[in-house]
Amino acid sequence: MAPDLTVKIGNLLLKNPVMPASGCFGYGEEYASFYDLSCLGAIVVTGTTATPRTGNPPVRITETPAGMLNAIGLQNPGVEAACVKIRRLQAYKTPVIVNVAGNTVEEYLQVIEVLEREKTVSAYEINISCPNVKAGGMAFGTDPDTAAKLVAALRPATQKTLIVKLSPNVTDIVDVAKAVEVAGADAVSLINTLLGMAIDVERRRPVLANITGGLSGPAVKPVALRMVWQVSEALKIPVIGMGGISNAKDAVEFLLAGATAVAIGAANFRNPTVCPEVINGIENYLTRHGFQSVREIIGLARTQGDR
Amino acid sequence: MMQKRQMEILEHTQLTEEIFRLTLAGGIGAKPGQFVQVGLGPTWEPFLNRPFSVHNCTKTTLSLLYRVVGHGTRLLAQKQRGSILSVVGPLGKGFPPTKRRQAVLVAGGIGAAPLYYLMRMLRAEGKDVIFLYGAKTAAQIVLEDEYRSLAREFYLITEDGTAGTKGLVTDLLPQILGENEAEIFACGPNAMLRAVAQTAAEKKLPCFVSLEAQMACGVGACLGCVVATADGNYRRVCADGPVFAAEEVFRFGS
Ligand SMILES: Cc1cc2nc3c(=O)[nH]c(=O)nc-3n(C[C@H](O)[C@H](O)[C@H](O)COP(=O)(O)OP(=O)(O)OC[C@H]3O[C@@H](n4cnc5c(N)ncnc54)[C@H](O)[C@@H]3O)c2cc1C
Ligand SMILES: Cc1cc2nc3c(=O)[nH]c(=O)nc-3n(C[C@H](O)[C@H](O)[C@H](O)COP(=O)(O)O)c2cc1C
Ligand code: FES
Repeated sequence: MAPDLTVKIGNLLLKNPVMPASGCFGYGEEYASFYDLSCLGAIVVTGTTATPRTGNPPVRITETPAGMLNAIGLQNPGVEAACVKIRRLQAYKTPVIVNVAGNTVEEYLQVIEVLEREKTVSAYEINISCPNVKAGGMAFGTDPDTAAKLVAALRPATQKTLIVKLSPNVTDIVDVAKAVEVAGADAVSLINTLLGMAIDVERRRPVLANITGGLSGPAVKPVALRMVWQVSEALKIPVIGMGGISNAKDAVEFLLAGATAVAIGAANFRNPTVCPEVINGIENYLTRHGFQSVREIIGLARTQGDR
Repeated sequence: MMQKRQMEILEHTQLTEEIFRLTLAGGIGAKPGQFVQVGLGPTWEPFLNRPFSVHNCTKTTLSLLYRVVGHGTRLLAQKQRGSILSVVGPLGKGFPPTKRRQAVLVAGGIGAAPLYYLMRMLRAEGKDVIFLYGAKTAAQIVLEDEYRSLAREFYLITEDGTAGTKGLVTDLLPQILGENEAEIFACGPNAMLRAVAQTAAEKKLPCFVSLEAQMACGVGACLGCVVATADGNYRRVCADGPVFAAEEVFRFGS
């Protein structure tokens, strides 16, 4: 019998633990010609703000060893226009998670208010970790009290699943994670990108117009895995792990570290069919090792007796 | 349709010290001006795929024409006949259909790549094509005979005068255009595209330019490859381009 791949995040039942990472999958439509998006555990759309954002000037991305830097700056059409695109995802039989961003508590609330009217939206991923915008973004995610206050303010606004996306650009990610759990988050997702930069030696200036950008891809995987390990040990709510996942083996590492689900970001750019390949690969792994359910391996590396 | 394909190298020819032509087995149904993303794995170095214009496309083959400029293209140049490449495409919007009888194609260096396929398709539609091929030096001109044989008029111009006329494409363009009601299609370095666009604007002729940008996804999802448009917005070179109407991306002092 094929192993059971279903997992629960808040009140979402996912048919498998694999979803694209926010900002790396647009509003879904771009990847729809490569495969049927219904196979995904969930669809996570790009960071959405109350009003349209033009984003940062180019150059916005640059390749780095085993990864890339981005400084998109939350370019998005604003929540009203985003709703039109999100409604198209109704065609797929999988939950839609909207990544919500803002400069102020009020702006986050405003976005949620509009999205509450949308049947297609199953959950929110509160982005308190975007390193590429001046106000808000990561500012909410680097201090446990500020993060908790934001989550506490959003919690009464919705019955839908509230996921909080954590920043790795902190001294102790567990502090922030615990604070948002207490404030009412249903789950946390991590990691967002690590703040970095690159310099063009010929032109003798930073490559990115924004100077700094967020690092992602295989290069960040060990850092992300360590943080997922620490956070899932400290929290009762589920963890969605991400950072450098490019194949099924990477995904299984995150599950073994304690993640209930995983998200795949930059790897989509290199391989547009990576998500379905990872889903199949996880299933093969479970079959090969005789597990009946993916839930059996969540956090298994932490509980295997004496290490 | 946009797809990921595993394609076998049928032919890989070094044309100059830096420029190669790669022919892959399989038709992808691309339009002129579209491009593909080529994976250079299996290692993480380089991490991202590399975008290349469709140089030619038949029912059974896809050809690329590329210049070695860095790590990725150096790796590509080492791939042997018979090996398999991962190719995502066709991507982007190609050149728009021409309404006019006459087209002037302006190539700068390796910018000649997509214009070969465009010229072939324009000729198949019975259009009259003038081809203006510019480069820094004679060593950067490739496939001259093939380009020349398809064009009704063919001009060569190099910055150092080692082939054709000495100068820049825009030195020749006004006289080539003359009083013709032509449509202009250009691909090459940004400075050249801007100059061509300016000439077109002065002559009030429609002009389309094919742009380049650093890309990650190539499919319109990451918003990494944007170009600032004349109206102050950003558009994606991969999905909204790479071909843009010149007035959309260049503005000249009014
Ligand atoms: C839509 C599109 C179509 C393209 N079509 C073609 C084509 O048909 N033939 C072709 O030869 N190239 C084409 N290019 C450019 C090609 O993608 C780059 O040359 C290639 O990605 C460089 O990879 P690399 O790893 O060798 O260089 P890198 O190691 O990434 O860079 C090496 C050096 O080259 C410079 N460089 C990188 N990318 C570019 C670029 N796009 N233009 C100019 N300099 C660059 C870098 O700044 C650096 O100095 C196209 C680009 C785009 C966006
Ligand atoms: C181009 C790009 C855009 C991103 N945009 C967002 C975003 O809008 N909101 C967000 O929470 N995270 C965003 N991220 C972060 C990713 O969702 C993910 O957390 C991070 O890239 C690590 O995963 P990866 O290594 O698999 O890419 C973005 C990442 C990239 C590369
Ligand atoms: S390269 Fe990702 S949007 Fe163009």
